Amino acid sequence: MRQSSSFRPVVEDKSASAPVDVSGGAPAGGVTDQPIDMVGLLAAGHHPAAGAVVLFSGEVRDSNMGRVVRYLEYEAQVPLAERMISEILAEAKEKWGLKIAIAQHRIGRVAIGETAVVVITSAAHRSEAYTANRYIIDRIKHEAPIWKCEYYADGTKEWGNNCNCREVTGDVSKHIYESKG
Amino acid sequence: MTIHVYAGLKDYFSPEFELPDDVYDIDQLRACMLAINDQAGNLLAACRFAVEDGFIDNTYKFRAHETIIVVPPSSGG
Repeated sequence: MRQSSSFRPVVEDKSASAPVDVSGGAPAGGVTDQPIDMVGLLAAGHHPAAGAVVLFSGEVRDSNMGRVVRYLEYEAQVPLAERMISEILAEAKEKWGLKIAIAQHRIGRVAIGETAVVVITSAAHRSEAYTANRYIIDRIKHEAPIWKCEYYADGTKEWGNNCNCREVTGDVSKHIYESKG
Repeated sequence: MTIHVYAGLKDYFSPEFELPDDVYDIDQLRACMLAINDQAGNLLAACRFAVEDGFIDNTYKFRAHETIIVVPPSSGG
């Protein structure tokens, strides 16, 4: 499995005035084996034409279904995951007129309380920023080839909480999202 | 052809293994994998498949020596 330590998976509205270069020239992507720099990413989410910035942080909690969780370990098919996240960001940016869209997902071991995934959306108004943010995280969770394995206090582990939309849609590529995007 | 599997599929298969190049589509690949381990049926039925260029559907015909990625249901976030 290839692991990428680079990130800056940013899709920026290049048509806006005074654009902020937050891409750093790095390839679009969204998967990292390093701790997520929440402050740095939030700073990259500011834009002069954005009146609203929404940040979602998906964090590792210490229990699941009544079982004590010690930590999670994430695995990804990195090239496909990075490509898919970039496409989702680009689509959301177009659909809601976002000024900036950022998404980054951890792979490897992630401790309790650490951020596993972050999505930042910047838009003129909060409605678009909230809606787009929810849409992006829902699609990443359902579609991006990223998997989590839960390690429990009793020494067992389990690949968990997989998308099961196929049981309803009958198609492994069709999903049901909580968001209405 | 080379097959790569991830996550829960690694409980049933090696992360990377070879199959003959005469396996030509997804249905045949599923059958070959079930022949290796018939306990993986439920999970395989829920998997998507991809090649280097991206996800493929059931109409895709594999090319010789192609690398096939078997993608279990996602659980990101």
